[in-house]
This record gives sequence, structure tokens and C-alpha cells, in this order.
Amino acid sequence: MKLLRTVAFNLFTWSLVLLIAFPLIWMVLTSLKPQTELFRIPPTWLPQSVTFEHYWRLLTETPFLIYFRNSVVLATATTLFVVTLGTVGAYSLVRFRYRGRETLALLVLFTYLLPSVVLIIPLYLAMVWLGLSNTLMSLVLAHTTFALPYALWLLRSFMEGVPEDLESAALVDGATRMGAFKDIILPQLLPGIISTALFTFILSWNEYLYALVLVNTDSVRPLTTGVMSMLISAFNIEWSLLMAASVMMSVPLIVVFAFLQSYLTRGFGAGGVKG
Amino acid sequence: MTAKAHTAPALERGYARLGVLLIAPVIVVFSLVIVYPLLAAIYLSLFQIYTPTLQGSFVGVDNYMDLLTRRAFWSSLWVTLVWTFGTLSLQIVCGVGVALLLHQNLWFRSLARSLVLFPYFLSTVVAVLVWRWLFNDLYGALNHGLMQIGLIDMPVDWLGSMPNAMIGIILVGAWKYFPFVVIAVLARLQTIPEHLYEAAKIDGAGPIARFWDVTLPQLRSVLTVIILLRAIWDFKEFDLIYLLTGGGPVTSTQTLALLVYQEAFALNEMGRAAAYSVGMMLVMLVFMIVYVRHSGREG
Repeated sequence: MKLLRTVAFNLFTWSLVLLIAFPLIWMVLTSLKPQTELFRIPPTWLPQSVTFEHYWRLLTETPFLIYFRNSVVLATATTLFVVTLGTVGAYSLVRFRYRGRETLALLVLFTYLLPSVVLIIPLYLAMVWLGLSNTLMSLVLAHTTFALPYALWLLRSFMEGVPEDLESAALVDGATRMGAFKDIILPQLLPGIISTALFTFILSWNEYLYALVLVNTDSVRPLTTGVMSMLISAFNIEWSLLMAASVMMSVPLIVVFAFLQSYLTRGFGAGGVKG
Repeated sequence: MTAKAHTAPALERGYARLGVLLIAPVIVVFSLVIVYPLLAAIYLSLFQIYTPTLQGSFVGVDNYMDLLTRRAFWSSLWVTLVWTFGTLSLQIVCGVGVALLLHQNLWFRSLARSLVLFPYFLSTVVAVLVWRWLFNDLYGALNHGLMQIGLIDMPVDWLGSMPNAMIGIILVGAWKYFPFVVIAVLARLQTIPEHLYEAAKIDGAGPIARFWDVTLPQLRSVLTVIILLRAIWDFKEFDLIYLLTGGGPVTSTQTLALLVYQEAFALNEMGRAAAYSVGMMLVMLVFMIVYVRHSGREG
């Protein structure tokens, strides 16, 4: 009786999980089907013949690799910039006492919730005026608007979790504040920094609106707008090609999920929900 | 000894100065990329600006009069509220339900968790492409699946007509964002002390009574935070709706974020768009103040 209940529960939950994951499974299956098989009625649930031609065409006949490179540069630059600023800033916000500190923390929280569309018009004008429009630099700056408050907020919670007495002990032993920061705080904060960096990277990798407004040439387009432009420009929508592009675009995410998932859940506990 | 007593306040002051020095780069970047654009948006909302030439003239509060008297802002506000309420309730119900299931002893539990969490981290562009392919009226898997089960007997036009388009975006929004609720609720479930359940069991409470009397009260505080955060994020959502329906059919799924974009970059009315964005921010400010005060109390 108990066994039966366990089996029933597992079957029910797993069919639900597979239903939730179905769009992703369908994405992979579609990317492996030959173009002709897509337009069968009724559709074949499993591909009758498996082909990698769409992946090959994606890499050789479309600007996909350029978009991919742009996204890597953009997300890496944003992450490095934001996490460096954020780590030092969070250290200051948590471990130092000065006037305006609380107000600043509040301001960070407010900007963390701000809608991008409010900032986008002035940012667009500023980039045109600075001659930065259509450069990856403009996107790095634009991504800072949401990534910096986010990283600062996360790192602040992680910093609060680092015990204070080790730092005090180092100071008594004659270390300077910056010395203690380098030798005591940074090593303990490292898991938090990694998890913040992952979140920032994913945020920047997935961002669409700024890329849509600030960049309009193929040579600097990141993946998000690049792949969408493949959908819009195609006369005949090639779904299997687009699904192959979607799979390739998710590769960094799959890697993170396979090897670094604990850092993602940790980041959630720290900043996403506790607030 | 006395020398040390003398240096203590000096040291404190030195530390405070170092603290300010360390936060200075953040303040500079913040002012340049957030505070300045924010103030500029309010300033720009007093002008009429033609987007292609960026030429404009001062019009005072005319844009705000437009906002109050034209239907566009109010109908978009209504659409935004419908979308936010619809997708948020679905996220909460599915999120809590799935979290309760995944909290149990399940075969390959960590794999199941990964599969459920994945959509949240997926790019909206990818999510939209996949769903547009699923929604495809002729060759889409959704219509065929539903027809095979017998729920519908004709293919449904998912994104091109109302109310299907609204249902479509609410559904995709819920699919993409409910994992956030799952992660947060799961983390909280793990901290509920086991003896509360045992006490309830001894008192003769069944599984359903235990959920209402033990689990739900324990989840209350985390659910408040989740609802506030997700309400703010859903309210300002742009990518998902823009890419799925573009605000259509006509303007039936045009939320405020889409309206601002449309005015600025399709209708070339940059000043009016800025006014709309300020209006949108004022509506959001209500949620934001509640959230900030709430998290201030918790902290």
C-alpha cells in the first residue's frame, strides 16, 4: 500500500515536471529534425531522422558566431566591472560607519526595482551625444544600470554573513583595513562573489531592451537581438534553425546549471528573496 | 596607554574617510548611469522631442495633460494590471504547489529541481522563440496536443486574437517566472521545524489541515516578499510581452512599458514617452515603498 502510494506520487510529480520541461525538450527535438519533418500534420513527437545540419548552417551561414562573441564580451565586461565595484562598495556599506550610509543602501534598493524604460530614453540620448551609440561600450554602461544595484544588494547580504571578529583580530595584530580586506574578507566572501558574478553574467547575457534600442548593426549585436533579427528578417521562418540557435544560446546556462548550481541557489537565499 | 586613547578617535575618523573613499566609485557610476538619466527623464517629459532629429521645444506640462486626458495611458495601465494580476496569481499557485511536491521524497529529486528551475534562468528571447513555435497555429505542438486529447477540435489562434493573446502571455509569464517562487518557498519549507507537523498529527490534523494550519502560516512572511517583488517585476516586464505579441492585437496587450517604447521609438514622441514613463514610475512607487519599508522592518 505504501509502495503503491510512493509510485503514484512519483509518477504524478514526474509527469508534471516533464510537462513543465516540455517546451525545452521540444526545443531540442525540433532543432534535430530535418526542415521537411517540421511541417507534417500531425507532427512527429520524436524525430524520425536526426540531423545536425541546422547547427552547422547556424555556425557557417549566419552571423551567429559574431553575436555569440559580442554577448561573451558584453556579459564578461559588465560582470567584471560591476562585481569589482560592488565588492569594494559592499565592504564599505557593511563594515564602515559614516553619514549617509543608510540612505545609500535604500537608494540601491530603489534602483534595483526601477523599470528600464524610464532610463532608456535619457540613456539613448546620452549615448548619441557621446558618440557611443552602436558600440558594445554603450551596452556595458547601460547594463550597469540594473546589474550594479543588483550585485551591490547581493554582495551586501553576503558581506553581512562574513563574521566580524576575524577582521578585528587581524586589525589588532597590526593589519591595515585594506590588508585585512585582501587577506581575511575576500577569501571568505569568494563563494558570494562567484554567485553574484554568475547572476550578473546571466542577467547581462539575457538582456534584450537596451540591446534593441542602443545597437543596430550586426557587428556589435549581442545574441538576444541578433537571434530575434534572424526571426524577423527571414521570409520563411526556419523554426529548426531558430531552435538550434536557442539551444546554442542556452549553452553557457546549461554549463552553469551542470557544475555551479549550488552558487545559484545560494544567491537566491542572499539577495533575491530575503530582501 | 594615553597615546593609544588619543589615536582611537583619529583612527575612527580615518576609517570613516576610507569607507567614503571605497564607496566613491559606486556613487560616481550611480550618479552617471542612474541618477542623471532619472532626472533627465523628468526634465525631458516637459519637452516635445521628435526622435529622428532629436529637435524639441519646451511645452511645460502639456505631456502630462496628454497623459491624463488621452485614453492610451489608462488603457495600458489597465492591461498592465490585468497581466500582472493574472500571471502573478498563476506563479504563486503553481510555485507553492510545485515547491510542496519537490519538498517530498522524490526519485531523482535534484534532477527534477534543475528541470523546474531552468526556465527562470533562460533568456526571455529563447523562451519566446520556443513558445511562439509551440503556439504556431498550423504546425504548433500545443494545438495538436490539445486536439489529440480532445480539448479543442479546431486549431486556436493563440497570439493573434483576444482574449487568447492575453491568456498566452500570462501563461508564458507564469511558466518563465514561477520557478522563482519555487526556489524561495522550497528554501523556507526546509526551515519549518518538524515538531510542528508532529504536534499537528497528534492533534489529529490530516494533510490538508496541516497545510492550512502549519505550512501556510510559516510561509506567510516569505510569500509577502515574493508577491511584492514579483508584482514589481511583472509590472515593468517588457521583453516577454513585446516579443510574444508586440502589444497586439492592436493594443490589447500593450502594457505601460510597451507604450513608453512605442511612443519613443515608433511614434517618435520622445517627450511624451518620457512623461508616460514618469507616470508609470509613480504608479510603481506605491509597490516600491511598501517593499522597501517591509524589507527595512525585516532587516
